[in-house]
Amino acid sequence: MVSGDLRGPFTGKVLDAATRTPVAGALVYAAWTFERGSGLPAAAGFHEYVGSTDSTGGYNVPQLQDVPAGARLTDFQLLVYKRGFVAYRSDRRFADLGPRLDFAQRQQQVLLERWRDDFSHARHLRYVGGGAAVAALTGWEADLAAAEMSGQGVRPGSLGTDLTITTGRGPYLVAAQLLTDTDIKAQTKFDGSFETGPLGDEPDTASYSSQHWKALSRPETWDVALRMWRLDGTAATDRYEELLGSLPSAEEKGEIATRSLRAIEGDIRGIAFLDAPRGIVVLITCGRSQCASPDDAVALAKKIHDRILGLWPITTGGTP
Amino acid sequence: MKRALAATCAALALGASTAHAWEATTTHAGLTEVAAQSSHLHARLHQLGFDRGLFEALTVPPEDAPALLAALAMFPPTAGFTPDARGRQFALAWLVAGAVLADAPFAANHFYDPATHRGWARPSMSVWTRIAERATSALPATGVAAPDWVTSKDNPLGLDGFIDQYAKAVRGATPGERSRAMAGALVAAGAILHVLEDMGSPSHVRGDARAHLDPIGPGAGDLGSRFERVTALAFGRLGIPGPSRVVSRPTLRGFFTTSEGSKDPGLAEATADHWFSADTLPRPVRIATGSRTVTPSLARPLPAPPRLLNLMSASQVDGTTLDDASGVCLARYRVERGLLSFWLDDDCLLAQAQAILPETASYATGALDFLFRGELNVVGGNGEIAVTAVAAMGAGTLELLSEDARGVRAPLTSIELKPALAGSLLAAIAAPAGARRIVALFRGVDGVGERLIAVGAIELAP
Repeated sequence: MVSGDLRGPFTGKVLDAATRTPVAGALVYAAWTFERGSGLPAAAGFHEYVGSTDSTGGYNVPQLQDVPAGARLTDFQLLVYKRGFVAYRSDRRFADLGPRLDFAQRQQQVLLERWRDDFSHARHLRYVGGGAAVAALTGWEADLAAAEMSGQGVRPGSLGTDLTITTGRGPYLVAAQLLTDTDIKAQTKFDGSFETGPLGDEPDTASYSSQHWKALSRPETWDVALRMWRLDGTAATDRYEELLGSLPSAEEKGEIATRSLRAIEGDIRGIAFLDAPRGIVVLITCGRSQCASPDDAVALAKKIHDRILGLWPITTGGTP
Repeated sequence: MKRALAATCAALALGASTAHAWEATTTHAGLTEVAAQSSHLHARLHQLGFDRGLFEALTVPPEDAPALLAALAMFPPTAGFTPDARGRQFALAWLVAGAVLADAPFAANHFYDPATHRGWARPSMSVWTRIAERATSALPATGVAAPDWVTSKDNPLGLDGFIDQYAKAVRGATPGERSRAMAGALVAAGAILHVLEDMGSPSHVRGDARAHLDPIGPGAGDLGSRFERVTALAFGRLGIPGPSRVVSRPTLRGFFTTSEGSKDPGLAEATADHWFSADTLPRPVRIATGSRTVTPSLARPLPAPPRLLNLMSASQVDGTTLDDASGVCLARYRVERGLLSFWLDDDCLLAQAQAILPETASYATGALDFLFRGELNVVGGNGEIAVTAVAAMGAGTLELLSEDARGVRAPLTSIELKPALAGSLLAAIAAPAGARRIVALFRGVDGVGERLIAVGAIELAP
């Protein structure tokens, strides 16, 4: 038996409690809390890590490197959040809000329970807490929580539409499944580290998913971002046309899938493509420091499309 | 407006100490959350135009209250009351933020002994160890009694601050101003609840400052209340049980302490008369040979152990338990070499916390409803707007405001009012053209002379 270390690293795998399948693209938020003072302890700040699970549901929270001068490390909390599931906290259970006693530093198995209509969003928001990273993903629950508090219950249909993982349209595809740190480094020869997580623009839904590879200690020209839309009928084509019309210096190239384009704005390169049979539109942006050549960005986009083809074969009836 | 909010929160820059109360980020935060969710605050916020009620996102721009935002930035977002970089979080979270920050630096003003009517008094130096002396040398000699502190002019997060910010949250011209002021009002309300919640901790209401100097951590200077530490570890923020009922009192002070001529206990009396604290247990007493009864010396008349203690069980190694009428542990006791002594172990403390927390939350819920109790009835018809009193009101100022389609409010008229009975007509005006909503704001006192903000509103057809 090895004693744990509050500083980490913390590793584990996030699984769907019902199917035991990996949950990719879940927010992994970790916070170390510091205190200072003796007898009259005072809050001395915290250090946070924001990432997401990879395509296997795995997470790896790197070890805390520094404690502020004069402060001591007093606590660590891990939060896993994925829309459609009950969030997971390393310190408390959601069901009875009792203390969680089974959290391990390494190889933790985090089982996410699927959301049910009879669960309370007011309770859930209280459970997950606040802050920028978490609020960006949980903001949509506020309307439902407010309705509950007003005695209106849950709006009919909203949970079934927005939260069910499998809605008869195939698996819930997420951007984090389509590209990995390793893919990027293999293409661009980048030797640094990324912090990963969803973009802050809008939360993952059944029709939208995003992933951000933020290069640690580097300017944003080293960052990579991926946005993916999954839309019905002509909506995917409309979205692609919208990108074509709105992205700076957009130019159709026909290099990937049904249609594709290249765009550039300042130091940021953009590649978008439309996979019409699957109703999928992807936009990848890559800074010039990371993608020195346009071909790097195109290669990453092709890698993404290859993953889509593998993960999402066309079935009878067109839409996967 | 910005200056007022900044001033209200300026004291928070001085740092947050946690040793002298229920632990702020866990117990106070949890008590305040369950109180809010059990109160009428959600409905009141909705009525005021904050449509999502407790889950309305309210923004305090960091430049308006840098001390407040800096103080909150010390806590991790998982704690539940940390705004984002723009200073935005739910109304509920602002309320909790006030409850968390109220200790800084005023923790010594969160004590009240109903037997002496005094607040915190630093324990005699003779009882301290050298380490304790060093660790607590910064402690003030005395503190303002808690019921006085919440209405003190020196309290930046007291009733004055609440009334000021609440009024601005109604009469502010723009939605942004109103959002900012409502966040400020909620911070002040949360801080008031914090002081009240401390009346649920026995050492706070039994003159037992010494109980706050117990060792609670591995460090030589890790001193605090063991009871409050046990509670924090066991319940955290999320595990705090909800209120068992909603306590109602006619005055804010009445939630803290029994009002003159009233039989309704304040939380201070309810706690002090029911529970021992670590250093106000019955004193050890020697038992005369053959005696079947014993009368321990008490620090306070209540709670009083029964005359017939189970001295046979108490003679066993582990001693036995003194329970209250509900079977909750009041203390352990044992007889050793003819000496009867009492103590509190962690299991006993935990059982007490399980009983005390719902009662404390009941008072906090009632107090929150009390702060936001003021209501006006605004009705319209035939081109006229009429405002009537929902409950008896004292003297004050009634202000009517019109709100346009952009949500901008402008004053229509202001009227000085004399005391009025419930249902009395307070004002009637012609409905202004172009207004989407008429808002009525009363600032004054209620029927028993307590300071009051009362509000009402009516939507007008576009």
